[in-house]
Amino acid sequence: MSAVPLLFGLLTFTFFIIRLAPGDPVALYIQGDVDPMYAENLRNALGLNDPLPLQYVKWLKGMLTGELGVSFSKHAEVTRILAQTIPNTLLLTFFALVFNFFIGIALGVTTALKRGSATDHMVNITSLFVYSMPEFWLGLMLILGVSLHLDLLPASGMHSPMAHFLPTWHYLWDLVQHMILPVFVLGVASAAATGRYMRGSLLEVINQDYIRTARAKGLSEMLVVGKHALRNALIPIITLLGLSLPFLLGGAVIVETVFAWPGMGKLTVDAIFARDYPLIIACTLVSGVMVIAGNLLADILYAIVDPRIRYE
Amino acid sequence: MSPRILFVAVLCCGLFVSCGSKSGEKDPMSEAAVVALSGDADNFNPVVSNSSTSSDIQGNIYPMMFDVSFDMREGKLTYGKGLVNSWEFANNGKDVILHLRSDVRWEDGMLVTPEDIKFSFSLYGDPEVASPRRSYLESMIFTDNKFDVDKSIEIIDDSTMVFHFTKQYPLQLFHLNLSPIPKHVYRNADRKTLRSNPANERPVGAGPFKLEDWVRQQQIILTRNSKCTLPYPAKLENVVFRVISEPTTRLTELKKGTVDVMRPVYPDDVKDIQENNPQIKLLTLPPRSYEYIGWMNIDIEEYHSTGKIEPHPLFGDRRVRQALTYAVNRKEILEHELGPYGELAVTDFSPIFRWAIKHDLIPYPYDPEKSRQLLRSAGWSDSNGDGILDKGGKDFEFTLHYNIGNKRREYVATVVQKELKTIGIKVNLQSVEPVVLYQNIEDKQYDAFIAGFSVGLAIDPAGRWGEISNPFNTVAFANRRIQELLKLGLHVATERDAGPFWKEIQGILHQEQPCTFLYWVKDIVGVNRRLKSTNINVLGVTDNMWDWTIGDPNSYMTY
Repeated sequence: MSAVPLLFGLLTFTFFIIRLAPGDPVALYIQGDVDPMYAENLRNALGLNDPLPLQYVKWLKGMLTGELGVSFSKHAEVTRILAQTIPNTLLLTFFALVFNFFIGIALGVTTALKRGSATDHMVNITSLFVYSMPEFWLGLMLILGVSLHLDLLPASGMHSPMAHFLPTWHYLWDLVQHMILPVFVLGVASAAATGRYMRGSLLEVINQDYIRTARAKGLSEMLVVGKHALRNALIPIITLLGLSLPFLLGGAVIVETVFAWPGMGKLTVDAIFARDYPLIIACTLVSGVMVIAGNLLADILYAIVDPRIRYE
Repeated sequence: MSPRILFVAVLCCGLFVSCGSKSGEKDPMSEAAVVALSGDADNFNPVVSNSSTSSDIQGNIYPMMFDVSFDMREGKLTYGKGLVNSWEFANNGKDVILHLRSDVRWEDGMLVTPEDIKFSFSLYGDPEVASPRRSYLESMIFTDNKFDVDKSIEIIDDSTMVFHFTKQYPLQLFHLNLSPIPKHVYRNADRKTLRSNPANERPVGAGPFKLEDWVRQQQIILTRNSKCTLPYPAKLENVVFRVISEPTTRLTELKKGTVDVMRPVYPDDVKDIQENNPQIKLLTLPPRSYEYIGWMNIDIEEYHSTGKIEPHPLFGDRRVRQALTYAVNRKEILEHELGPYGELAVTDFSPIFRWAIKHDLIPYPYDPEKSRQLLRSAGWSDSNGDGILDKGGKDFEFTLHYNIGNKRREYVATVVQKELKTIGIKVNLQSVEPVVLYQNIEDKQYDAFIAGFSVGLAIDPAGRWGEISNPFNTVAFANRRIQELLKLGLHVATERDAGPFWKEIQGILHQEQPCTFLYWVKDIVGVNRRLKSTNINVLGVTDNMWDWTIGDPNSYMTY
């Protein structure tokens, strides 16, 4: 429940900050052959000529009744627009998170167990290289390399045109093919970072007394690492995963633009450029909720991984 | 299940699905064209939609009153039969009598009637609706400053109606060519919230195509309207519009063959396409947009604080504005940025209007010496030897604003800064976020800026060079003779009658240089050769979409 005032404060701050920022929401619609009075009529129609406190009261009333308003630029109920885009971003983010988690842990465990080896050095250097690559550049390079030149995967979008005519399995396979590149780009940098953290965490655990005891008992190395070391080494990684959700959402803005993925990131960018106030606030709300949900998820997973932790 | 087995299982599953039998199933793409868009539609109600995407698509969903085309040889619009079967002028050209087709039906089976048209025009003219096309009705009849639909539109019978104008003018038919919407769908719609009416997302049209599906930010699918009785029925089964905002991704899709039509292709990409992608043909559109450097003609501080119109301290003198144009090597900028896909601009009258162009105007050459002479004659000299011209103790220094992220304008800005420095003018560059830039330009907040302008399909310079208060008179240029010529040119019976007035305006603009006209931009459209009958023209990419066909049905690239 403590998240509610936090969200409310965030939205109120956003409400005022976007109105104080320069730029007129109707400026983009005024073109050469448009009646100059049109701008004024449109401002009236959108309620932009109301005094700011009145606009705030109207917005507050809408929020309390679950009304997020009507998008200025897309001319539709914000809730309906979100209903179309949120699942797309969740899909992308979920798989990027899974990719981040499994690949990151695999890399971390491999490098920790082979500390000082050529594999360790190579993975470390590659991880740093990938981590420092801008997502925008990596996305475009993969589109040109994997999609255009090797012709292995589609370049953009969520589905092929007319994919809804395909049988269900073909439709799903089409979706999977379209997801591979954006999920990879969104998740690979985080996976590199997770791998580094995992390596450090596992190395720390592996030197603990209870691991030595386990080895002394004659347990196989797989059991020692898999059952005793990994579980404890995962605790900081779980926290990291929850906190990495906001970064994934931030990255989704770029990845969705490059890959024409119809999600929240692209929607937010468009809304900001169009000064679409209701949509900007709604996108902020969704991001806020997702970040809080990420933290909550981290707390739950934390308890699962570490049985000593119990929430009242 | 071990990870290895799981991986193999997923791979096999994928192979099974991708290679699975499709025999007997018709590939939906065999009769579909794919158009890449940089932005999504906002809605599909022609009364309130703003985006160019919506406009392009609506023209294929709703019936058009006329089938408008642009005669490039003549440089003017021509009108063919659409919903209107024939038309005539009466009452000294002030009344237009339209004879409508009586066999056109909306998708839901209802007939398209004069009542639909009258109802639609009442929406276009209602300030509460705030239609961006309301200005089209400004020469019809208004009572108490409100559009009087009953006095402006008279229904004679089921297929005849009369539009009453207050004057005869060349654009009457153009202004009548607004798409009607079905009255029975929108009869009870709240006008204030018409913009967000859910019916706008499920348009009921009568045009060659109908909306099959619209997934926001993703794709818009049109399907052939088999019941269309207009003289331009669709030949293709489907047209898919894909929203791809990133230009590199869009171009990749065109090269791969997963997109058939893309606009614009950038001049830098042309050589690569021509060498490596023979399946793509590149079409160049006649120019309808130009870019310019705006020099504020009036003292904006004085104007905003007192409303008085005084010459700008730097750019208020015509000789200075001429000197600035002489000092910028526009030809070099054009060749560097656009090459053959641009044209040096002399004024803002588009070369497409051949009959109205004053051909004897010679573009200002790059001549820094002439520029220095003009500045000297205007009283600017480097009296303190610091390398910057000054007058009355004030240096010739200003800030040039342009929109951030626009590479071409960034280049122009740096060239201008460098070249003006050689004649003793200090230019500071300031890139600005586009929305803020356009607002400030329209509010006349900048002394100097780089911007662009798109012209309509008919000549109407009133917005650009009319009243100073008009937001499109971005450089606040006021000229009494131009005001007189505008009144004369906009009140003639035919377009051609206005020719002499437009030519005189061009002469004045050339002499006065209210801004430095840089170049006209010719958009390049990439089209996959599998698409036939793509007569893409100055009216837009989708103008004759109804006529498109697919050459080889198996030519679409699939996975």
